[in-house]
Amino acid sequence: MHVQIVLFDGFDPLDVIAPFEVLAAGSDAVQGELIVELVSAQGPRPVRSGTRGLVLTATSRLDPTKPGYVLVPGASGPTVGDPDEGVETIPVLLARFGETEAVTLVREALRNPEVTVATVCGGSLALAMAGLITARHAVTHVQGMEVLAATGVHAVPARVVDDGDLVSAGGVTSGLDLGLHILEREYGPRIAHAVETYFEYERRGTVWRNTGRQPVAV
Amino acid sequence: MNSIIGIWDLKLRTPIGSLAVVYTFTDTADGLRGTAEGRGETVPLVDIDQQTTADGQHVTWRQSITRPITLNLDFDVTVAGDTLTGHSRAGRLPRSSVTGNRRNA
Repeated sequence: MHVQIVLFDGFDPLDVIAPFEVLAAGSDAVQGELIVELVSAQGPRPVRSGTRGLVLTATSRLDPTKPGYVLVPGASGPTVGDPDEGVETIPVLLARFGETEAVTLVREALRNPEVTVATVCGGSLALAMAGLITARHAVTHVQGMEVLAATGVHAVPARVVDDGDLVSAGGVTSGLDLGLHILEREYGPRIAHAVETYFEYERRGTVWRNTGRQPVAV
Repeated sequence: MNSIIGIWDLKLRTPIGSLAVVYTFTDTADGLRGTAEGRGETVPLVDIDQQTTADGQHVTWRQSITRPITLNLDFDVTVAGDTLTGHSRAGRLPRSSVTGNRRNA
């Protein structure tokens, strides 16, 4: 199984590295059965993050036909400021992602029954603003939840929201929980637990799924 | 009197900046209809409602745009002659002011 983590200009480094390391450790625990790679919509290239210009290198082009996961991180940048005055706020960076070839490729990935699309932080908002996940259930960074809802997505304030072939995680550090959830989903709790133990990190909260009884307001 | 009928240039704010949008309101047998045109797409206005108040004609509607981003917007404006003022709101985000001018035929 492949996990392709999609780099784009202005990405948030921790959104990428947290699941990358968790999945790499999980890959070791299943003897390399899981292949985790950094990709971009444009192919192999150095990609500049939104934090102090830190660069990570995409080693191949995002391929929506590869079975497994396509993981979209969020962006890092100012949360305040006026886009009309040229401030490249996080929503502006995420909307720009929506104007790249990435949209076509992620749309194909969403249509491919062998691919689950996963997001960390603003990744879900990038897909939502591009119109790819309308009426789906998802979470994003706490500061983006109202914008996410305004795009027509059912915004659920959980740390990880598992909506079938779309799995989203909240802000920044929730990428650790997303990585562990993917490991448990694909390889079972013993693999996820082994990585938790090694990383000295435990997930928190309940993974939200649109199943079971509906809670009554009290 | 239905003073909103006509073509209007509006500037509205979104989380990624301001957009210039052209609105067309028409009177039809089925009532007031409207469209919004901007960034290469034309979308219909839904749930258009209007009432005459002491300040002028008060009009509300909803619309869903997909360009440059997907966004659901609610509008609430008041027409005074050839200008229109009010606000738009995207979901639960804070509302932002909207101003518009009638385009002269």
